[in-house]
Amino acid sequence: MIKSQTRRRLRKVVAAATTLTLIAAACGGDDDDTADEPAGEPADEPAPEPSDEPADEPADEPADEPADEPADEPADEPADEPADEPADEPAAEGGSLKLGILGECEGAFGGFHEDVVAGVSLAMVEDGGATVNSTTSALDGFTGANVAGLDIELVGIGCGDDTADRIIQEVRALVEQQGAEVVIGPLSGDESIAVANYAKDHPEVTFIDGIAGAQETTMQVQAPNYFRFHGDGAQWNAGLGDILYNEAGWETAAIIADDYSFGWTSAAGFIADFCAVGGDVVSRVFPPLGTTDYSSFVQQLPDPDEVDGYFWVVGGTGTNAALEAFVNAKGDLTGDQHAGNLFFSPALASALGPDIAGAYVGGFASLPADIQTPEIEAYLASADATWETLAAGAAGGEVGPPSVALGFGFGYGYYAAGKALNQALEAVGGDLSDNHAALREEMSTMTLDVPYGEVTLDENRHGIITTYVQQLVLDDESGEVVAETIALVPGVDQSFGGTFSPDTPPPDRDNPSCETRDLPWSGNAIPVVDGVPQE
Amino acid sequence: MNRSWRDLVAVAVVAILVLLPLFGSAFFVEFVMTRTVILGLAASSIVFLSAYGGMVSLAQLLLFGIAGFMVGNAVGEAGSKGLKLGWNAWVAVVFALAVTVAVAALLGALSARTAGIYFLMLTLTYAVIGYYFFGQVTTFSGFGGITGIDAPPWFEGHPVRLYYVCVVLSVVTYVGLRLLVRSPFGMALQGVRDDPVRMASLGFNVALHRTLAFTFAGFIAGVAGVLNIWWNGQIDPTSISIGPTLDLLIIAVIGGIVHLEGAWLGAFVYVMANNYMRNLPFADTIGLTEARFNTVVGLLVLLIMLLSPDGLVGVILRIRTAATGLRGDGGSTSDDASDHQIATADGGPKGPPVPTHTREGSIR
Amino acid sequence: MTTEVTTPTSIEAADHVVRLRSIGVAFGGLRALDGIDLDVAPGERLAVLGPNGAGKTTLFNVIAGDIRPTTGSVVLCGRDCSHLPSHARPALGVARTYQKTRLFSNLTVEDNLYLAQTGRQRRHLALFVSERDRSLRERAREVAHRVWLGPMVDATVDGLSHGQRRQLEIGMALAAEPDIMLLDEPASGLSRGERERLSELIEALDPAITLLLIEHDMDVALRVADRVVVMADGIIIARGNPDEIRSNTLVHEVYLGREGGR
Repeated sequence: MIKSQTRRRLRKVVAAATTLTLIAAACGGDDDDTADEPAGEPADEPAPEPSDEPADEPADEPADEPADEPADEPADEPADEPADEPADEPAAEGGSLKLGILGECEGAFGGFHEDVVAGVSLAMVEDGGATVNSTTSALDGFTGANVAGLDIELVGIGCGDDTADRIIQEVRALVEQQGAEVVIGPLSGDESIAVANYAKDHPEVTFIDGIAGAQETTMQVQAPNYFRFHGDGAQWNAGLGDILYNEAGWETAAIIADDYSFGWTSAAGFIADFCAVGGDVVSRVFPPLGTTDYSSFVQQLPDPDEVDGYFWVVGGTGTNAALEAFVNAKGDLTGDQHAGNLFFSPALASALGPDIAGAYVGGFASLPADIQTPEIEAYLASADATWETLAAGAAGGEVGPPSVALGFGFGYGYYAAGKALNQALEAVGGDLSDNHAALREEMSTMTLDVPYGEVTLDENRHGIITTYVQQLVLDDESGEVVAETIALVPGVDQSFGGTFSPDTPPPDRDNPSCETRDLPWSGNAIPVVDGVPQE
Repeated sequence: MNRSWRDLVAVAVVAILVLLPLFGSAFFVEFVMTRTVILGLAASSIVFLSAYGGMVSLAQLLLFGIAGFMVGNAVGEAGSKGLKLGWNAWVAVVFALAVTVAVAALLGALSARTAGIYFLMLTLTYAVIGYYFFGQVTTFSGFGGITGIDAPPWFEGHPVRLYYVCVVLSVVTYVGLRLLVRSPFGMALQGVRDDPVRMASLGFNVALHRTLAFTFAGFIAGVAGVLNIWWNGQIDPTSISIGPTLDLLIIAVIGGIVHLEGAWLGAFVYVMANNYMRNLPFADTIGLTEARFNTVVGLLVLLIMLLSPDGLVGVILRIRTAATGLRGDGGSTSDDASDHQIATADGGPKGPPVPTHTREGSIR
Repeated sequence: MTTEVTTPTSIEAADHVVRLRSIGVAFGGLRALDGIDLDVAPGERLAVLGPNGAGKTTLFNVIAGDIRPTTGSVVLCGRDCSHLPSHARPALGVARTYQKTRLFSNLTVEDNLYLAQTGRQRRHLALFVSERDRSLRERAREVAHRVWLGPMVDATVDGLSHGQRRQLEIGMALAAEPDIMLLDEPASGLSRGERERLSELIEALDPAITLLLIEHDMDVALRVADRVVVMADGIIIARGNPDEIRSNTLVHEVYLGREGGR
């Protein structure tokens, strides 16, 4: 009896302590408005904290509380401490810039958190002389970055989960709590629309998009302090229609695309391009997001003898399932009768066999691995020199060479954003006055020089980019299906020659309609042979 | 005496909330606490239904979301998504609440004859249907959601005003619900919770009472939903998907699903954990990064469920009872007894109510 | 098989308050009630006896509306209410107790008795406490005193003993001021002294109230009742006044013989 009584008391105390700890942490965090970068903070005060919460904890629930392992603490992160203070001192000449990153630690793209933080970090290492805090994880951040006399201080890494609600909370924490003056991110489309809307209400902060592909973010929202140095989902499919119509002989095409904004936008890029040169889209089918059985949607598509080809925008595991449903309903695949956006990859062959060879694939943010230029090689080498290994989302979360993370679109998009900030800061000498007026003017007008091709911005501060078209082919030697780049398409802008404008409806099930028009890049595609652009 | 102690604490908390903007940072007031109060208001509709109606509802976040979507559809102008009606913000509020209440009445009527686990599952079904409805019916939203919704001009540039409105509406709801449960309707609702069969044989239309309670809770959730969209500026189907739906239930459970105050207390703990866990000393050395937030909240809920089925409010009450007991040198038995008294001072059940429709004595 | 001992006056009573005609209730293949005909006159005190499983409680459930009969009709106070839901029957003056107490366990005695009264009133959806509610609560406390629960009036039902809960069950029926009161084994689980008090309480009821009583305890039943029906296996096997039932051999065989006179 007495024993159970005591135990009950003890439990109460533990529960109370947990609450108090949270509250204490909250108050602490709040005072930290001026605070330091995230990795530095816990290490700053190892001594006072444990004595704050006296003996109740360690006794009961050792697993709960960290108190029993304070000894690990200093050993774990030796890198922060020395780097922290000394780097702050010489800042007298310039001042500082608080930088926040909006990453993605949960949700569909949660695996790419390392990749995107690595992207920004690498830009700071290259241009600001920063050192990374860990050679095996980018998430520990960097210290000692100084660009154009400004100390770049990483105040926080936001953790999105692919939802707009969450990213708003994260960006508010970065801006309103941590005081970030420049935010790089977010990663995905719906998030970027929400952040761009948020940007409108915070004119004092400059936002540089990470790698989000929604068209509205820049075209409709048009926040004057939101910059995007890459293309949207539609632009990534530019040039594909031109090649299919003029070289593969498609005159009609059917579309099957995920029924949400990225699916619509990605399909819109193909439709605008294919119709502009004279092709006709005869059928559009939109399976809801999360569909697992595609048979009823595939049935709605015309048969292979009724149409010249099919364009697929079905994400994730849906690509495989949808194509298998197609085989069941309409017979074997004829590779060159199919095209897809970035979701098409050689991996499809493992389930569908070599029949998929011949299919055409739209581009993404960075150039594919079969194209190598000196700039690209130098870029990937600098990544490998900065970290020993990274658990890159681009490598499926496997620990591997950092260049894998940086060579893929997600990491590269964030890298380009960091480079853009640095290049603009250098150009204006670190002038942040008047709500970053000079910096923004510079970013709007400069030509960003990054390894996978130069980028300039349009009047909506959106990238005019070089994209590419690939084809899945059978490798002569191994007999496996590989992706081969067949063309580069330079000068792709968001408007598709006027197909899209702030006044047109955003891409949806019915938009854009199929019309011929002149596209600036029609006929300008640069053929690529064996990874070498034929200028 | 218990009641007056409870009132005293409530008044003190309200005083702190009102004075908070004087000493709290802008972020703490306009972000953390505003979110806390909005989520608390939404969770209070779960607690109300559960504590006084014996109905654990997973549809409250759906109703919260419906209100938000309706505001978005009503105020949206060309260029945004949804119906783009372009209405005045205040007209939009009336419209949104009317739609929410109508939906709540319909859903309530449909589920009024179920109880216990069946009611829970049915409301879960509503939540899932709602998610797909707003995701797939692009007339109202689509998966991208509705973004760029501004609060009425009066709030423009004055986020503290929104905070105060949230606080005032929370106080009104709290006081109102406490008065309501003593009213004839509230008493009948508690009777329905304890024994629906007896209530029917006393002449009460049990299904009607359940429906009305659900509708009323839907109104509260709707008010919270309107505040939320003003505060957040956007809403999309994932805002009301299964994860956030469970989060709201978790908030109610953390605070104590049988105590009205628990809704706000639970929201406070939840939002604090969400925002500040990453700043806990040593947090990242043991892997407590923001990515692990759900794990930690899960453990927190587990801990609370094991230690105190009636949540943190229950913990506070027990601590207080223990303190009084020590002072008064009360034995352990009186300790427990007074404990029960407190727990049910407002008529809240101590254990999960188990309303069943077995026809008692049908075959003896 | 049925040897009915009939009292001609009561079955022919013109102004009955309860009239059941060929009531049948089937649960799957089991016939819980089969062809029950029963008339109860105003102010009559009818005891329903029978062994476990005889269908007594089912009969009450049919009258109170908790169960819809498979066949037959229920007429209460001259109105056919075979299809009236249970919550509409208190308006006709029906109140019942339950053998296994059905009380609002988290509410106080006063709250319980208050709810017992408001069920019949239109105002039970009101959102504000009115003067009327205060007077209803006043009455609830009076009823509590009548069933000897005066000192416990502010205690929650959880804190009541078994006997006190049975007293409250009766109080619930009393508070509703019914015309027809159905008491389902009100004395079960009570001590001898408590049974005595219960019998007194029932005897002291307003003679205008029609009373139907299921009771295992013959002493209580035969002391209170004017008339008795005996059920077994879903049918009525005997009817009569208490003396006739006491001397009926069949009744002894199926019921009293087994249970004894206690």
